[in-house]
Amino acid sequence: MTRFLASTALAALLAFPAHAVQPAEGETLAENQTYTYWLLDAIKSLDPAKNTDVEGSDALRQLFEGLLIEDAQGNMIPGVAESHEVSEDGLTYTFHLRDANWSNGDPVTAGDFVYAWQRVVKPETASEYAWYMELMNIANASEIIAGEMEPDQLGVRAIDDKTLEVTLTEPTPYFLSTLSHTTAYPVPQSVVEEHGDAWVQPENIVGNGAYTLASHNLGVDIVFEKNPEYWDADNVIMQTVRGVTVNDNNVALTRYQAGELDRVQIPAGQYPRLEQESPEEATSVPYGCSYAYIFNLSEKGPEVLKDNRVREAMALSLNRDVIVDQILQGGQEPAYTWVHWAINGFAAPEGGMAEMTQEERNERARELLAEAGYGPDNPVRLSLQYNTDENHRLLAIAAQQFWRPLGIEIELNNVEWKVHTDRLQNQDFEVARYAWCADYNEASTFLDWFRTDGYNSGKWSNEEYDQLLAQAATADDTTPIYQRAEAILDEENPAVFVYHYAKVDMINPAIKGLPRENLRNTWYAKDIYRTAE
Amino acid sequence: MFAFVLRRLAVAIPTLLLLIVFSFTLMHLAPGGPFTGERALPPQVLANLEAQYGLNDPLWLQIWNYLVGIVLHFDFGPSFVYPDRTVNQLIAAGFPVTLTYGALSFAAAVIFGVSLGAIAAIRHNSWVDYLAVGVSIGAQVLPNFVMAPLLVLVFTLWYGLLPGGGWSFDDPSFWIMPVIALATSYMASIARITRSSMLEVLGSNHIRTARAKGMPEHRVILRHALKPAMLPVISYLGPVFVSMITGSVVIDIYFSTGGIGKAFVDSALNRDYAVMMGVTILVGALTILFNLIVDVLYAWIDPKIRY
Repeated sequence: MTRFLASTALAALLAFPAHAVQPAEGETLAENQTYTYWLLDAIKSLDPAKNTDVEGSDALRQLFEGLLIEDAQGNMIPGVAESHEVSEDGLTYTFHLRDANWSNGDPVTAGDFVYAWQRVVKPETASEYAWYMELMNIANASEIIAGEMEPDQLGVRAIDDKTLEVTLTEPTPYFLSTLSHTTAYPVPQSVVEEHGDAWVQPENIVGNGAYTLASHNLGVDIVFEKNPEYWDADNVIMQTVRGVTVNDNNVALTRYQAGELDRVQIPAGQYPRLEQESPEEATSVPYGCSYAYIFNLSEKGPEVLKDNRVREAMALSLNRDVIVDQILQGGQEPAYTWVHWAINGFAAPEGGMAEMTQEERNERARELLAEAGYGPDNPVRLSLQYNTDENHRLLAIAAQQFWRPLGIEIELNNVEWKVHTDRLQNQDFEVARYAWCADYNEASTFLDWFRTDGYNSGKWSNEEYDQLLAQAATADDTTPIYQRAEAILDEENPAVFVYHYAKVDMINPAIKGLPRENLRNTWYAKDIYRTAE
Repeated sequence: MFAFVLRRLAVAIPTLLLLIVFSFTLMHLAPGGPFTGERALPPQVLANLEAQYGLNDPLWLQIWNYLVGIVLHFDFGPSFVYPDRTVNQLIAAGFPVTLTYGALSFAAAVIFGVSLGAIAAIRHNSWVDYLAVGVSIGAQVLPNFVMAPLLVLVFTLWYGLLPGGGWSFDDPSFWIMPVIALATSYMASIARITRSSMLEVLGSNHIRTARAKGMPEHRVILRHALKPAMLPVISYLGPVFVSMITGSVVIDIYFSTGGIGKAFVDSALNRDYAVMMGVTILVGALTILFNLIVDVLYAWIDPKIRY
């Protein structure tokens, strides 16, 4: 392994030894190295440029490998890139690639990354995740997506077969952590061009990951076999990985108990019982998503919500402890910030409603509503929109009950998913349930949402907030900036933050090496193994 | 008869066309589209996607292009939500699955349903009758979304006899639970219809005549009672057969068969326009075909019916 020594303060050094999980002392490996995991639904696409969902990402992570990958804690470690350096202005990254092969024996080159990334932004590819290259701030990505520039002008080029240079539009502190995402994977040009859209079908697909695709029976199962061409194949223990689709979570749990699956999500409300019965298997770990009720503050939104006292009263009086402890019951945390509590380097601001008791919050909420001229005799009337899902329904009913005694009458408005998102994006709602999941492990992945030009379905806007986030992009210490941004959210209440997610699973204790501290649950089958029971 | 079949087939074409135009229009009227999701796509990305799939053309042109694709190339277009596959490939993968478990369920439902109903009618008001009626009411009130998880619990978790889901054409053990779960309530309906129709026929004049002639009872039943008693059953079976072979969303969800029943419902929820149209046309064409077959069977069973 070559080691690059930093010559400037800005240049990052990234040269850990190859990472592979090895059995601990005293553990005996099982003869049969297979791992079977649960899929809620069919995998929509195995094309890195077209994948949009978690199921697809889990599969692609076995079949392909990006410049960097993640360790069990979610830290970035070398994947195809052995080392890299950053220019002083933070705009140019140079990656040095290791000797690695595609599963057909061809070498993985810098040109494969250039081809793949250009393909993502090319309008003809019609990639839903083309915006990811904009999130990475790669030079000219937006212009190419808009059809104003040719794809070959994208800020990525192969200096030689083993050296890749990436140019950014602005210094991007989180840039390296975007590189493990499926959208940034390399693809084999010759295979893509030969087979077109069908290049990812089992008989055609060629990858550079630790596994190859043995079969893919849409909506039934997907099977991966160890790839002997993988550069670190000697350290890969797991031979066969199988993803099994079970559309019903309760049936999936039954099948886990029957030994058909090694890992399954625990259906809502069953964690306490299963944790009692099988403490070895029931797990709950923080998962980087936040749940909120968004207020529509656009021109189309209701007048009453423009009054911050009403918004604050609603935020104060939602009893999150009851929601977390009595309804969800799976290790979720009450949310008083938009950023998930477990995000790297994030600390919640001091003060605010998080530090009050629920009685104090209710008291304050009543005062605020009275000041605004509302109360049980003259209630605020709002509709709360949520998409069809048992948990969303239970939470909405709970919110309705918490708000009613204060004089906030909520009409529940259940719509199907597509209608829900369509209305959210067109500001056709009053209060709406929403959740956001981290794209990378840094607070801006959440906070950017509320920027004036962010996704921001409620169209809240605050100049200081926008400036803070712009500053954060180049700041050395972002913690105070993000704290101030959260404090603004706490004062202005563009939404009620409800809870921070946890991932609640049953995991076969014989399976070792699954990450428990990776906030986005990014797992690599090459790191796991099965012990003899 | 031949002219009748030809006439009916000629009517089938405009019927299908109307079905396509109506479904296409309704589908596009529904809020949201295939690419609306948790995060709004940047307008330029959305524009590229819509251009790629022809969604920015006027609706009439989209319908026209769609029809041309089907008629000239038998091409039902690309899936919007499963971009690696075409609609033809999705249907080719899912339909054989539902056809297999659907046809088996149909056979099971007909064989057990007709036998149960006929025996109940023949032994009217005896314990056999009460038992048969009891069983069929029980089967009718046990919906398949309750039955499916129960079957998995019993046969997979408790007894470890059958795989809890999935599909294989080579291994019939995957077929058993879907067939039981799908066939049961249809079997109950068939039993009830057979029983009441059979009771009516057994009380009619030609049966009394046959018995008066001293014809053995099994001949009376098989030759003279069963055939006319089947008329209402057959008119029920036509649409039931189509709905069974085009799959059940409940079966597909609980047993993860990869069948087309779930694909249909998903395509509507996901606004996967092309898949939804493809399955709609498949179901529509099969419905028209089997209604025609039922009508032809009618004429064969009941000589009084002439076309």
